[in-house]
Amino acid sequence: MHEADIHDLSDDADYAASQQQGSRSISRCGSDKRSEPSGAEVVFLKENVAIHPTQYASERIRGRLRLIKQGACLFMTWIPYKEIGSGGGAFGHSDARLSDKDRNLYSIRAVPVTDIRSIRRHNPTLGWQYVIVVLSSGLAFPPLYFYNGGVREFLATLKQHAVLVRSADDANLFLLNDFQDPLQRSLSSLELPRAVSVAPTSTSESSSSSSVSSERPEDGRSYSEYQKHGQKSNDPARDLSIQVLEKFSLVTKFARETTSHIFREIHSDNLNTNDRKNQAPIVSNSNNDVDNSGLESASTESFVAADPIEKPSCRKDISAVKKLPLQWGVLSLFIFDKMTLVWGKPRQSPLGTEEWVTFLDAEGRILDSKDLRKRIFYGGVEHQLRKEIWKILLGYHDYDSTYAEREYLSSMKKVEYKALKRQWKSISVAQAKKFTKFRERKALIDKDVVRTDRSITFYDGDDNPNVMLLRDVLLTYSFYNFDLGYCQGMSDLLSPILFVMEDESEAFWCFVALMERLGPNFNRDQSGMHSQLFALSMLLELLDKPLHNYFKQKDCLNYFFCFRWVLIQFKREFHYEQIMRMWEVVWTHYLSEHLHLYACVAILKKHRKKIMGEEMDFDTLLKFINDLSGHIDLDAILRDAEALCVCAGENGAALIPPGTPPSLPLESNLLYSQQDEL
Amino acid sequence: MSYAYLFKYIIIGDTGSFVSPISPFQIWVGKSCLLLQFTDKRFQPVHDLTIGVEFGARMITIDNKPIKLQIWDTAGQESFRSITRSYYRGAAGALLVYDITRRETFNHLASWLEDARQHANANMTIMLIGNKCDLAHRRAVSTEEGEQFAKENGLIFMEASAKTAQNVEEAFISTAATIYKKIQDGVFDVSNESYGIKVGYGGIPGTLGWKRWLNFSSRRVLQLKLLIFECFDSSNCVYRVSTLYCLLLLFL
Ligand SMILES: Nc1nc2c(ncn2[C@@H]2O[C@H](COP(=O)(O)OP(=O)(O)OP(=O)(O)O)[C@@H](O)[C@H]2O)c(=O)[nH]1
Ligand SMILES: [Mg+2]
Repeated sequence: MHEADIHDLSDDADYAASQQQGSRSISRCGSDKRSEPSGAEVVFLKENVAIHPTQYASERIRGRLRLIKQGACLFMTWIPYKEIGSGGGAFGHSDARLSDKDRNLYSIRAVPVTDIRSIRRHNPTLGWQYVIVVLSSGLAFPPLYFYNGGVREFLATLKQHAVLVRSADDANLFLLNDFQDPLQRSLSSLELPRAVSVAPTSTSESSSSSSVSSERPEDGRSYSEYQKHGQKSNDPARDLSIQVLEKFSLVTKFARETTSHIFREIHSDNLNTNDRKNQAPIVSNSNNDVDNSGLESASTESFVAADPIEKPSCRKDISAVKKLPLQWGVLSLFIFDKMTLVWGKPRQSPLGTEEWVTFLDAEGRILDSKDLRKRIFYGGVEHQLRKEIWKILLGYHDYDSTYAEREYLSSMKKVEYKALKRQWKSISVAQAKKFTKFRERKALIDKDVVRTDRSITFYDGDDNPNVMLLRDVLLTYSFYNFDLGYCQGMSDLLSPILFVMEDESEAFWCFVALMERLGPNFNRDQSGMHSQLFALSMLLELLDKPLHNYFKQKDCLNYFFCFRWVLIQFKREFHYEQIMRMWEVVWTHYLSEHLHLYACVAILKKHRKKIMGEEMDFDTLLKFINDLSGHIDLDAILRDAEALCVCAGENGAALIPPGTPPSLPLESNLLYSQQDEL
Repeated sequence: MSYAYLFKYIIIGDTGSFVSPISPFQIWVGKSCLLLQFTDKRFQPVHDLTIGVEFGARMITIDNKPIKLQIWDTAGQESFRSITRSYYRGAAGALLVYDITRRETFNHLASWLEDARQHANANMTIMLIGNKCDLAHRRAVSTEEGEQFAKENGLIFMEASAKTAQNVEEAFISTAATIYKKIQDGVFDVSNESYGIKVGYGGIPGTLGWKRWLNFSSRRVLQLKLLIFECFDSSNCVYRVSTLYCLLLLFL
C-alpha cells in the first residue's frame, strides 16, 4: 500500500524536480518522527516553510509546518518562528519589518485534516514550490512556500494518514476527504437544472434595469479569455469550483481592481460548465459553513448553489495585504495567482481612556482623524468615552476642534436649543386647536416615546423624566426640521443617543447630526430607503450572485425584508449595549460610508444555505429575518462586513449611487420631499 | 407542530396619527396588543411600536382539524404604507382594526380597506374589529355604525378589547372559520399558496399532501417528476433503485 502511494505521487513530471530540490535542501522531514509530551505524534515536520504576505522579501514569514497525529485525528499546523531565530530556522536576521504579533496572525493552529478540502501544488519554473490549502469552508490559507522543498513528502505523509486522491483532471490538485459516494453524486446531479436557473444569462436579459450596463461586453471578453486556457476547460466542475474558491479566498488590492472582472469570469465558468453538457455537478456538497452551523443535513446543502466567495472572514490585518505581491506574479499563468488572502481583522478591545488621550494633542485636537476612525472601526469605544467621542464621530464637533472650542460650541448650542424648544413650548391651547399639524405630531410622538425601549432601566417606570426628554427632543426636532417632521423609527434612533449624552441639548444636536445622514430614511416617498435597498441589491449581486438570483427568482428583489435593518440601522436586531457598539463602528465611515449595507450582505450570506436550501419565499424569508433579532453575532458580522467591503473594493463603492444615505445628499435643498401630510 | 392548514393573517389599521385635541392619550388602535392577547393571552400596556412588521403564531382547532394561524402585525404609520402593502400579498385573512374611542381611526377605515382590496387577493376574508371596548364610557363610535360599515363592505364585525381579552379569541377564530368554510366550499384552490393558505400534513388524508406536492411548481420538483418517468423508463435496475432511493431521501 505504502509503495503504491509513493508510486502514485511520483508519476508526475515534477517528481524529478522536487527530488532534486529535496536533495539540495536541509530538510528534516517525513520519517523524522518525534513524540510530543501530550501524546501527540509529529508525523511530518518541515522547517522553513514560509508565507509571503507582501511582495517585500523582508516581510516574508518563515515557520515550521507540521502534521500531528493525535489518536485517530491528524492536524496540520504552521507556526512562524520567533523574531530572533530560536525556532530552529537558521534565518534569524530577516523578517525585521513585521512584529511578532503581526506574524502570529498568520499562524495555522491545529487545523484538522478532515477540514481540508483540497491542496493544490504549484511548481513554478523559477522560485519555490508552494501549496495552497483550501478548507471545506471555502477558506484558503495563504500560499505556503517550501524553501527547502518537501511538497512531495508532505503529500505522501498526508496520503498515509488521510483519504487523499489526486484529481483525475488536474495532476496538481489533491482532494482530501473526497468520499466518492455514488448516492451523494446522484443527489447533487439533481441540482444541475437549478444551477442553470440561477446562472447569470437569464439575469442580464430580463433585468437590465438592475444590472450594470457594462456587464455584457466584459462577460464576453472573459469568456474568450477563459477559452484560451485550454487545460482548464477539461476540469470537471468540482475542480472548477475549487479553483474558484482558491481564487476568491486570495484577494489583494490588486484583486480589488479586478474583482468585477473575475466575478464575471466565474459566471462564464459556470455557464461554460453547464454548456458542456454537465458531466459533473457544479454544486459542491462539502461546503460546510465555517460557523459550525453546518449541521444541516447534507441533502439540503446539496441543493444550494455554491457561494462564489465563501466566507472570506479571518484574522489578518488588511493593511498588510494592500501591497501588491510581485515576485511570482510575473511568472504565473493566471492573473489570480497574484493574490494574497484577505482576512477580516480580529475585533480589538474598545478604545479606553488611556489610549484615547494618545489620539489628542495638548489642546484636545485629534491628531489623525483617520487613525482614530480606524481604531474605533476595529474595536469601538468604552462606554464612558462615548459621550465625548460620539459627538465627534457624528460630526457635531469637528475633529480638529480644541477642548475649549468644543465646550464653547456646546454652550452656544444649548442656548440655540432652548430657543428652538420655546417655539413649540409657547403654543397655547387655543393656538394648538388651530394648529392640527402640531397636534398630530405631538400626539404621535407622545404615544411613541412611551413605546420606546421601556425595558431599559433608563426609560422604564411610570412618569420617567427621560421619556419626557425623549419627547421634547423629538418634538423640537420636528420644529427644527419642519419639512421632515417626525416619523416612526426616529425615537429608536434617538434613544441610545440620549442615553449616552444624558443631556437634552447635546442629545438634540447629535441627533441633528445623525439625521443629516439618515434623514432621507424617513422621506415620505421612501426615496432614501429605496436607494439603500437598491444599493444593497447591487452589492449582493456583486458579492453573491447565486443568492441574488435566488431572490430574483422568488420575486424578492425589493429587499423589503431588510427594511427594518436599514431604516433604524439594526437598532431592533441587537441588544442595547451591542447596538451602541455597532453604531459607533458604522459611524466611523472608515472603510465605507455604507458599512451597514455590507453588514446586511454579511448576514444574508451567513444564512444563504438555509435560505436557499429551504426555498424560502418572501413571507418565510421575512419572518426568518425578523426572528434573527437578538441572535446575530455582532463581532462576526462586523468582521464579515469588513472583509466583504475590502473584497468588493472600489467596485462595491461604484455600485452605490452617489447620495445614497448616509452619504450626504447631492443637492441639499432637495432633501426632503414630504407631501403636505403630518 | 403538524397542522392541517396554515392561514396567513395580517393586522392593519391606524397607528393613531389622527387625534382629537381633547384626548391626547389613549390614541393607539392597539394592533400589537390584540396580537399579543391572542398568542400569549396577556395584555402588555407598553409594547414597542412596530417598525415594518412583526409576527405571531398560534394553533387553533376548527372542525377537529389543527390549524395554524400565522399573523403579521404591521406598522400603522402612513409613511410605511408602501412597505405595508407588500405584506398583503398572499394573506388569507385580515383584521382591520379601529379604536372605538377615536372616530378618526374609524373615518380612516375606507382608505385601509381600499388598500387591502387593491393589494390583497380578492377572496381575502376581512374582519373589522372595534378595539378598546373596555373603554365604553369614552366611546366615540357606536356599535351600530361599526355594524353598518361592515355590512356595506361585506366584512365580518366584532367589538373587542385587547385589555380584557373580550372577543379577541372569537375574532381570530371566527375569521379562521370563515376561511375554512370557503375552502370546504371550494372557493380556493388550496394548492395555490398565493391565497395565503398552506396545506400541512397533519390531520389530512395523505392524498392531499400528495396532490399539493404534484402541484408544487418549483424547478426541483419538475426535475424530480422527469426523473421518476426516466426511472421507470430505464432498464438499468441499479439506476432505478438508486434514483428511487434519492427520491425517498428527499421526501421523507
Ligand atoms: N384600554 C385599552 N387600551 C388598549 C387596548 N389595546 C391597546 N391599548 C393601548 O394602546 C397602546 C398601543 O397599542 P399597540 O398595540 O402598540 O398599537 P399599534 O396599533 O400596534 O400601533 P403601531 O404599532 O404604531 O401601529 C397600548 O400600549 C395599550 O396601552 C385595549 O383594548 N384597551
Ligand atoms: Mg404595533
